[in-house]
Amino acid sequence: MLIAAKPDNEAARLAALYELLILDTPLEERFDRIAQFAASEFDVPIVLITLLDSERQWFKARVGTDVCETGRDISFCSHAILRDDVMVVEDALQDPRFADNPLVTGAPHIRFYAGAPLTLPSGLRLGTLCLIDRRPRTLDALDLGILGTLRDLAVMELAGTEEKTDA
Amino acid sequence: MLDSHILLVEPEPMLRRTVIMTARSLGMSQVHEAASNDAALRLLRSRTFHGAVVAVDCIGRGADRQYDLGLIDRLRADDMPGKAMPIAIMAEQATAELLNALRERNISRVILKPFRARVLLETIEQFGAAPRKS
Repeated sequence: MLIAAKPDNEAARLAALYELLILDTPLEERFDRIAQFAASEFDVPIVLITLLDSERQWFKARVGTDVCETGRDISFCSHAILRDDVMVVEDALQDPRFADNPLVTGAPHIRFYAGAPLTLPSGLRLGTLCLIDRRPRTLDALDLGILGTLRDLAVMELAGTEEKTDA
Repeated sequence: MLDSHILLVEPEPMLRRTVIMTARSLGMSQVHEAASNDAALRLLRSRTFHGAVVAVDCIGRGADRQYDLGLIDRLRADDMPGKAMPIAIMAEQATAELLNALRERNISRVILKPFRARVLLETIEQFGAAPRKS
């Protein structure tokens, strides 16, 4: 198992995360709605909105699991926040970074993972909106576009910004 | 296909916004959103559309319960620019009565629950690429 390096801007990233005062707050319908929509849209058993604290990943929204946090060292999301684009692991058993990860070899038996980083307007990546399945999968360009949009909606909720609509 | 303008009438905000924002990010047709039939009618007065995806609801109770196709009739009205545009409707279920009513209105595409953004976007992409009819 490969433990992800911490981003170069880790101190600023954590400061931005703590400034939101969102860690360890109760579940909120505005985030649950996004996670539930993603689970239905992509037909995946687990969807999480994760926030990466210094030593743990904590779940602001979760579908398909009662677990509310895991160690950061075993989290897929700690890899996903190192890049701008969506990180897709089509089959974790075939990926040397994750094949012997306890989240793969044990519950919840992750095989597929797609994590879209929650990037603030400042460029700091606080966590992910991620899809998890227990079977290998792929995503096409349209899927990635939809996941990117749902991630953008989650970031708008985090950052308190709203897009104008003409409806 | 950015020169194509597609109307999306869907009351559920999460689905509507996901479709609109994804279409924009992928450079698909310009999708104009309406949360209600009244909002759609306002948009129809402001521009010509090249296709529409419209959620239809049931009205009435018991034996009188039927799908409200008033907006579809307006889209197909003789005085409407683009009256022959392709239209897809989103419905909870496809009854024989509904399918007959849609056939009379030259509507060949019905999207049934559960509604997925992907299906709506694929429909919008097809409408944007379709040859224009006046």
